[in-house]
Formats: sequence, structure tokens, C-alpha cells
Amino acid sequence: MSVIEVKQLTKVFKIPKKEPGFGGAVRGLFRPQYENKTAVNQINFRLDAGEIVGYIGVNGAGKSTTIKMLTGVLMPTDGSIKVLGRDPHKQRVDNARDIGVVFGQRTQLWWDLALIESLNLIAKMYDVHPVKYRLMLDQFSRTLELDQLLKTPVRNMSLGQKMRSELAAALIHEPKVVYLDEPTIGLDLLVKERIRDFIKAECISKGMTVILTTHDLGDIEELCQRVIIIDNGRIIYDGPIDTIKKRFGKFREITFETVEQIKTLDVPEGAELLSTDDHKVQVRFDRTLSSASKVAGAVMNQIEVRDFSLSEPELSDIVKQIYNGALDVEAR
Amino acid sequence: MISTARRHLSVYGALFGMIPKLFMAYQIWFWVGLVLNVISMAILVFFWRAIYADTATISGLGQNQTITYILLAFIFMPLTSNDLVWEFGGNLREGLMIHHLLRPINFQGMNYAQMLGGLVMNLVLNVPMVFVAILAFGLRLPTDPLTWLAFIVSAMLGFTVMFFFNWFLACFTFYTTEIWGLGVLIQGMTIFLSGALVPLVMMPEWMRTVVLSVPFAQALAVPVGLLAGITPLTNAPRIWLVQILWIIGLWIASTLFFRVAVRKITVQGG
Repeated sequence: MSVIEVKQLTKVFKIPKKEPGFGGAVRGLFRPQYENKTAVNQINFRLDAGEIVGYIGVNGAGKSTTIKMLTGVLMPTDGSIKVLGRDPHKQRVDNARDIGVVFGQRTQLWWDLALIESLNLIAKMYDVHPVKYRLMLDQFSRTLELDQLLKTPVRNMSLGQKMRSELAAALIHEPKVVYLDEPTIGLDLLVKERIRDFIKAECISKGMTVILTTHDLGDIEELCQRVIIIDNGRIIYDGPIDTIKKRFGKFREITFETVEQIKTLDVPEGAELLSTDDHKVQVRFDRTLSSASKVAGAVMNQIEVRDFSLSEPELSDIVKQIYNGALDVEAR
Repeated sequence: MISTARRHLSVYGALFGMIPKLFMAYQIWFWVGLVLNVISMAILVFFWRAIYADTATISGLGQNQTITYILLAFIFMPLTSNDLVWEFGGNLREGLMIHHLLRPINFQGMNYAQMLGGLVMNLVLNVPMVFVAILAFGLRLPTDPLTWLAFIVSAMLGFTVMFFFNWFLACFTFYTTEIWGLGVLIQGMTIFLSGALVPLVMMPEWMRTVVLSVPFAQALAVPVGLLAGITPLTNAPRIWLVQILWIIGLWIASTLFFRVAVRKITVQGG
């Protein structure tokens, strides 16, 4: 039986149209004009128990709107959702007991109170047995290194500390379904790594069903076997991460800053010249056919390089390429 | 059944206890508030003494009785205040409403426990004001336990009336997202219409009718009238009944309104 079942889910926001100028403001007062914005457009998917799915898309694609509808706080305009057999909007309180939520940009902890106070209250609200609670707290203290933080008010925490606390607060009642909305946003690599490890250990060992939204392809690669890509409110890809990795993950780009203006350049096999622009040269290469040192060495043999940087493909590029038919052959 | 009740008691007890803890994060406000309260209380007392300079009674109330009422109304003012409009507005603006709605307990119950915690804390914080009132302005507290009983029941009912009334008003913030105007309007109306400044019996007939047709006075003028000895104790059962009717009506109205209003939630951010 699927844990989450989404059918023809649609959300249309009615947004008041602001006309420019004073006259417009007055007109808006008497006859407000609205415009409809479809944030989520007839999407369908199912998740089985224990699946960890990456739900990705560029800003404004409809990720958070979907998550909010799944949690039950936002009412769908159309379509249906079943989470553990319940309608999350109609049975909001019952549904809340079985889910854990982290919104990376907001906190569910009490700002002015020490973390332990927030956790105590949350444990009470979710009816966590005191013995179980002690155990969980001990365990989280170790895995999330919360020891030093328990007595700290949330307002005095760094972003990374806050996120570790948020995760503890969201998972202390061992929910069956977990929604993580950009849990690594704004964090440095080290903290990201630690949080990914924690999510992996905690969610997989307990068989939680997880939906993870992120901009960070690293998160997805580390945690998910399956990804759903959404753009403009529609699902444009739903399938194994391997397909995405094979198609896009093998490419890297090197940007060289050159001393002189370069028009042409020879690159080794498996690499291609993307652009030459003023004092900048971009080269893309396939990791399975070449390597960063080969490409960089070849380029540096030909020209004087002031600086260079290596980057992974951006999510927005991937989305663009999917639109251009990049997955047509492989996915279908 | 008993275990569920105990669980509820434990959750709501914890929520209740949250408010003093939050307040204590900013202890400086206690001292600032105390000084301001002493000044306001002195102004009210001197104002009423000046009015009574030429006359022995107004609407049948003597100077001592009126000043007792005014002092008690001042001390028990927290009965009228609950910050639901600010609470809702702030939560909506900062997108925190979703977190509160995602708790597996009754949202209204959660807020009631917290507002009750706030009430008890504010009353405790007002204890120094009781001493100021007794020592500086000659307040004499009633000693009859029945008077206190009648007052406490009426005060709790009145507080609950205001809770549901404010809940109803707070639902408007789902539509406006602007809270400052509504919040200030409610604060102003509360001071005038709760009977904090003038005993109800002194108001002209038409004004009293207006005041009693809105719920504010239920939380202050009505219970404090009992405590100050202006309203005879024999009226207490009828007063409680009226307050219970207010609660039932406002509970139904506010719950229905909330159910509709919460659908308007459009949490900012993609």
C-alpha cells in the first residue's frame, strides 16, 4: 500500500492585482482585481513506505506549495491527497501526529527559550513516552551533537546549530512520514555533510517515508534513490536518480580566467569548449572519459591561466535540458 | 479515558507554563511596567478624588466605593487582555502559523492554555500593585469568601468570553494580514467598553445598553462589580448564566469563522 498518494493535485492562488499609481490603488479599494496563479498543476505520484524521494525544482516551481498541501495546512484547489490513508486537510490533527516537518527557512522552536524547553513541550504534545523521550534525547545528543545546545536559547544559535535543533524537534516522535523542505539551505559543506548523515541514519533505519525538497543536487545524490522534478507546477520527471546522474552527473565544467583574449583552444577527448568570452573560457568534460587534471593541463599548456574554478551542473541547467528533450530517449 | 485526560492536562499545563518562561526572557519589562502602572493608578485616583470634591455620591456610589472599583478594575485589567490578534497576525506574517497548525492538538485549546498562562502571570505581576493600592490609596479588599467565590467564577467566565471574542476578531487577520489597525482598535475599545475607567452604573442608560451589548464588560466591569460590592451577590447566578450564554454564542461563531478563515492561509514563499 502506498503511504502517500497524490492524484490530479492542483493549487491555484488568487492574487490581488495591484494597479500602478494612486488612481490604481483607489480603484483596487473598490473593485479589487484578481489574477489566478497556478502554483501546482494536476500532479500525480505515489510513495511507498520507506522511500526517500527528492522533490526538486527551481525557485517558485511549486515545491513548497506541494509540501504544504501534503501536510494539510494548505487546502488543494482540486485533486486529492491521501497520507497514510487520511485526507491531511480534513484530518489535520490526526495527520499531524504521524508526520515530522522541517521548513529550512522557518523555525518551529520557541525563539526565546532554551532548546530543551521546546523539546520537552514538543514531546508532550506528541505524546512521546518519557522513557522513550530520554532515549531519543540521548541519541540525538550524540548524533546531532546537541549536548552544548540544549540550554541555549534558539535566538542565540548559528544557522547550522538551529538546523540540527530543528531536525531533533521534527523527529523526536519518530514520525512515519517526514517532509524536509530545504533542510540544508545556507549551510556550509561540513554541516551539510553532518545533516545528510543524520537524515540517512535516522530515516533509513526507522523506515520513514521522506520527501526532501532542495536546490542542492548533493543532497539528492546522497539521500535519494528516486527524484521528482517539478517545473511551473508540473512534474517533468519522475524516476530513478541514476538516470539523472548518468545523464547530467558525469559532466563538470571548468572556467578559466585567462591573461590574454582567447579565440580558439584545443581540448582533449571527452571535453568540449562551451564558450570563450573576453578573458573567460568555459570547458565542459565527461568525467568517465577525461579528468579535471587532463583538461586543465591541456589548457594550461596552451595559454596562460590566471585562475580557474570547477563546478557541478546547476539544477536550472538540468531543467532546461530536460525541456530540450534530454531525457526523451532514456526515460521513456 | 482517564489517561487521555491526564495527557491533555499535561500538554495544556506545559503550554500554560510556557508564557511566564517567555516573559522572563525579558525581565526588564517587569520594572518598566511596574513604574508605569503606579503612575497610571495615581492619575486615576486623583482624577476621581477631584470629581468627588463637590459631591458625596454619584449615581448612588460614594467616593470610597468608586475608588475601590477603579483600583480593583485596574488590578484585574489583565482579565480583558488577550493578544490573539497580535498572535495570529504575527504568526501569519512570519509564516509560523503552519507550525502551530501542524501540532497534533486542538489549536484553540493550545491558545486558550497559553492565554490562561498569560493571565495568571500578569495577575501575579500585578501583586505589587495590590500593595501600592492598599498602602497609598487605602484600598480595602473584601473579606467575605462568598464574594471572592462569586468574583472568581465570574472572572474566569468573563475571561473566556473575551477569549472567544478575540478569537473571532483574530480570524480577520487571515484576510487582511494587516494587524496594527485592528489591534489598536481592539485595545482602545477594550479600555472604554470594559468599564475600566467608569463604573457601569454611572453611565447614562443608552450608553450602558451599548456597553452591555458587546462582550468587553463581561470580563471586567461585571466581575469587579461583584468584588467591589456594587452589584449585590444575589445577582451572581444570573450574571454567570449570561456569561455562559455569551461563551456559547461566541464559541460557535468563532469556531465557524476560523474553519472558513483558515482556508485562506497562503503561506508566503514558493
